[in-house]
Amino acid sequence: MIDMIVVLLITLAAGFLGALTGLGGGSIMVPVLVALDVPVKYAIAASMITIIATSSGSAASYVRERITNVRAAFYLEMFTITGAIIGATITSFIAPRYLYFFFAAFLLSSFFGISGHLKEDFPKKTKQDRLSRWLGLEGSYFDQAENREVKYKMTNAGLGGLGMLVAGLAAGMLGIGAGAFKVSVHELILKMPSKVSSTTSNFIIGITALAGASVYFASGLIFIGLAAPMAVGTTVGALLGGRILNRFHNRSIRYLFLLIVLILIIQMLYKGVTLQ
Amino acid sequence: MNDPKEKDLDVVISYILIIGVIASVLLETAGIIGLFYSHGNVDIVFSPEFSLKGSNFFAYAGQAIQALLLGKWTPISILTFGLLLLMITPYLRVVASAGFFAAERNAKYFFITLFVLIILTGSLLAH
Repeated sequence: MIDMIVVLLITLAAGFLGALTGLGGGSIMVPVLVALDVPVKYAIAASMITIIATSSGSAASYVRERITNVRAAFYLEMFTITGAIIGATITSFIAPRYLYFFFAAFLLSSFFGISGHLKEDFPKKTKQDRLSRWLGLEGSYFDQAENREVKYKMTNAGLGGLGMLVAGLAAGMLGIGAGAFKVSVHELILKMPSKVSSTTSNFIIGITALAGASVYFASGLIFIGLAAPMAVGTTVGALLGGRILNRFHNRSIRYLFLLIVLILIIQMLYKGVTLQ
Repeated sequence: MNDPKEKDLDVVISYILIIGVIASVLLETAGIIGLFYSHGNVDIVFSPEFSLKGSNFFAYAGQAIQALLLGKWTPISILTFGLLLLMITPYLRVVASAGFFAAERNAKYFFITLFVLIILTGSLLAH
């Protein structure tokens, strides 16, 4: 039987690694809790509410530094919250066995996604489509590494919204932020610069998590004893991880990430197959 | 982002988020410590009375606040309040944003934030 202290320490480590690898706390926490025999739905629901803390905590500083594109965030949130409510409703009703396989599939996609890219990117001059122009999806921020003001315009707002609906669905269903997926949609479809993309994704994750959590609240899947130490552990862990992030080389972080994800995939598949 | 007026909104949003998260984490920490002192252990119990569950989030939160106002400061009531506070934090930043866009007479973004607000409120109210 695990107690709150154990959960607090584990999620502290998960939050730390999540911030360090960019994987986010949820994708690590849920499989680890499942390995400790916490029922998968309880782990997902508690993770969902915990993500509000980590997302909001770090979003606060990025919003102040004005890197986050708050307008784009508001537009894209319409899609993620709708997806999250549908996703969380599915999870509340389906047999737990499927969740292990969905989770493993999701981790596998991040495995290939992150091992493939993660390069600082400043899109070339983008030609905006009509919807993106109408929504005013553009902006600028001061890039400290480049020491210049970076201006950008977004495009493909319609397709981007659809991508975010899928991101929200995965987030609500699996109790995660789905940050890696959101960042891909931002950069590949909407053509956001990398820094804007990751901070805007982080901003959206909080409200998406609330949408998912509202369903788990109604289903009675949020247990106080599990969610409380997780909220404390991941928030403190993410804070520490964010501080240390700049001191690591990108490559060592990536290898660490790939190793962790691989272990988690095997573990989730094993659970799914052996579940009675 | 380029709009200088939106700077005010950015500041308000960041305050809402940071205050909500810090307050909630402190309440959770206090609750866990309180639980340890009153029970002698901090085992995780998966029974309905230790879950957040309700069909109306706002009524549930109202009851939780009322309990605290009546002096019922038990570790569980503190933990519950902390988690509810965490949930309401991103909600409040949407409310603040909708208010901001209304004051700015920015119809486009007022309706976008209003849509988010209605969906969230609906999901928190009725299940």
